[in-house]
Amino acid sequence: MKKILMATVAVAAMMSAFPASALERGGSLTFARYDDSTLIDPIYADRNPDIWMVTNLYDTLLRTEADGKTVTSGLASSYAVAEDGLSVSLTLRDGIKFSDGTPIEGKDVVFSLQRAANPDLSPWAGLLASVDSVSAEGNTINIALKNSDPTIVLMLATFNTAIVSADAFAAAEGETDQDKSSSLSIEGFVGSGPFVMKSHQRGSMMQFAANPHYWREGEDGKALPYIDGINFLVIPDDATRILKLQAGEVDAAEFIPFARVSEMQADPKINMELFPSTRIIYSPINTRPERADGSANPLANVKLRQALNFATNKDALVQLVLHGAGKPVTSGLMASTTQLATDNGPLYQYDLDKAKALIAEAGVADGTEITLTTLAGSADDGIILAALQQMWSDIGIKLNVAQVDGPTRGAKNRSGDFDIHTYGWVNDVNDPAQVAGWLGYNPTAKAVGTGWDNAEFNSLYEASNTEMDPAKRAEQYARMQEIYAEAAPLLFMYETPFAVALSQDVKGYVQTPLGNNEFATAWIDR
Amino acid sequence: MSSISYFISRLLQIIPTFLIVMVIIFMLVRALPGDPAIAMADAKATAEQLEQIRQRLGLNEPIWVQFGLFVKNTLTGNLGDSILLKAPVTEVIFERLPASGFLALYSVLFSLLIAGPLAFVAALNRNGWIDITIRSAFQIGLSTPVFYIGLILLTFLAAKMRWFPVGGYGATFWEHMHHLLLPALTVALYTSAIIMRNLRSSVIEVVDAEYVQFARAKGLPEHIILGRHVLRNALISTVTLLGLSIGNLMSGTLVTETVFAVPGVGRLMLDAIFARDYPLIQGLTLTFAVLVSIIFLLTDMIQAMLDPRLRVS
Repeated sequence: MKKILMATVAVAAMMSAFPASALERGGSLTFARYDDSTLIDPIYADRNPDIWMVTNLYDTLLRTEADGKTVTSGLASSYAVAEDGLSVSLTLRDGIKFSDGTPIEGKDVVFSLQRAANPDLSPWAGLLASVDSVSAEGNTINIALKNSDPTIVLMLATFNTAIVSADAFAAAEGETDQDKSSSLSIEGFVGSGPFVMKSHQRGSMMQFAANPHYWREGEDGKALPYIDGINFLVIPDDATRILKLQAGEVDAAEFIPFARVSEMQADPKINMELFPSTRIIYSPINTRPERADGSANPLANVKLRQALNFATNKDALVQLVLHGAGKPVTSGLMASTTQLATDNGPLYQYDLDKAKALIAEAGVADGTEITLTTLAGSADDGIILAALQQMWSDIGIKLNVAQVDGPTRGAKNRSGDFDIHTYGWVNDVNDPAQVAGWLGYNPTAKAVGTGWDNAEFNSLYEASNTEMDPAKRAEQYARMQEIYAEAAPLLFMYETPFAVALSQDVKGYVQTPLGNNEFATAWIDR
Repeated sequence: MSSISYFISRLLQIIPTFLIVMVIIFMLVRALPGDPAIAMADAKATAEQLEQIRQRLGLNEPIWVQFGLFVKNTLTGNLGDSILLKAPVTEVIFERLPASGFLALYSVLFSLLIAGPLAFVAALNRNGWIDITIRSAFQIGLSTPVFYIGLILLTFLAAKMRWFPVGGYGATFWEHMHHLLLPALTVALYTSAIIMRNLRSSVIEVVDAEYVQFARAKGLPEHIILGRHVLRNALISTVTLLGLSIGNLMSGTLVTETVFAVPGVGRLMLDAIFARDYPLIQGLTLTFAVLVSIIFLLTDMIQAMLDPRLRVS
């Protein structure tokens, strides 16, 4: 008996020392992407294939945990926000180095943050609009603010404030800052992230190698990353990307179409991951009293917009478009994974009676015509259109369609030349201010082109942008979400995960809710 | 007219073509709704940011100033920077052109190998069962969508049998041959069907011609009749068709390039259009115009070699 007990203890001890599959180092990962990166630079990254790669090459002062919400230390070991909220001070970690072995110092932080806050250079400068000046003294960084900014700490954990080498930029070839960044992107690449750029053949492949000077430690107490490198292959066709994974030529394939998710789940060699995301699919509704052609716009009536929302069976849409891999939105203003998102259950749960009653109250004539603008060639939009045509015919709405390409849809959104159109969004930052500004705050972009302009919402939004008390800010956000849902400037639809299929050998890879591809903790079980 | 002066006169005709293409593409691209600023920032930028981007890209200049710059830069060989790829247009195009060119020539080679012999066999067995079988098979090739054939080939020959890689382009010449075999075959199944039909009817026409009957009456051996009299004359219209096909293929086979992940100019053009990347669309169109002109010129030269009457007129 004693022997058995001892054996059990020994096995238990071994199991805790060596988890089911022991962590292994080395090897390289081959990853199939839907699109290529162009210029992976903290401030020039403007498309998702660039943005989502930045933190692999450049580290930020602070970081967020995998949940995307909790802020922890990064290149800075600690930070403090002043009592009055008008400055932030940070202490740089000791002994941190760029990939070329040179130390990461205060001057690099000053250079990087000034560059990020410069509206002439960075399309993201607006995120740092509160920054007045940045200075460094030894290992201490001081950021002075023009006004208190509840988002500033999160911004220091966001890709656009990642740290680049001031010396490397000074020495790089090129006239403009962007030219310098381009010439640095391969030749003499110097970064602060877990990987460095090794080679890049535009439109076809890109290679990252481990940065030998990276500071962050893995579970085994040695520096990350675990793998030696990553080969990215650009395979734009969904079916080919999947075939490539099934043939064992790649270890992972991103953006698996939802129609194929269950097939991947059934494959014993494949680990089908559905990472929670901040991606929402919605349709802006034109709320202006007149359409662009001058005719009266029935959608200006909030009751009709609410009726359309009640008449839309979102669960059915989730089944049809996402094959169940998603859920109806629970906040009108943001995905449920976003900070400060309220959750009062599904918005406008399908209710035909309520929809009919609202239509009657609104006095909308039977057979009223509305046009849905969709993306030509999008299978998802085709399904959405067919479903809505059927659902809305139950309340006497005749839905027409106009098919356009992306930029045309964007131009129509900007000029208000639409009734309803499909759209999507993924947060770039961890704070809800970006998405709330885009969807609801009229001065930003006319409340996602809908023309909706609500004085209470606008002033709450403005107040929330300087509100340092988290509880008060949460209240403001709760009220904004309430107002927004009630006014229904959108057809509220659903949120979707990021679908990535990996070989069973690949462990530890994460795509964050913002979409960032995190390879630092990935390893291969051979 | 000698061959050389014929060549030079045809070469000079490229210049007006080029100028007309420049004007048309400049106007057409700007007639599209939406601009690069909106395409770039689509769902994210504020009105102010859009304005900044337009300013930076020079889109706020009057249209004639933009055109003047475009002509001046083009004539000095500067096609500008791609908005989408943030790199010089010429650099980007030259990176992508080899893959499309390789694929185009590879598929034309395949098309000829498939279509040539079969067209002859079909023509010489006109309306027999061999002829009908060959024509029916090609009809299926013509009417099946390219992406479908591509995916079937990929699924069975690449993913299941592992004889070929699933898409991609490779790094060396032999890797290109290996990677591009399936896409080239996919394209060839389509183009060979067109070439086969054309060559078959030309052969039938020529076989019945009086000079062939005369050659036969003279007692010439059959292989000389077919080689010297039939093939040479039947090829004249097929060369034109082949030239058109190569021209088409050089500007990229969009669907094939996408399905097989070939980094060619077809995919680049589509990306450029969706991004409203004016400099890149202009650069690509001008490149295609030059390429197609050169190929047509070569086609004409080959035709003139085959048919001396063309040189005289």
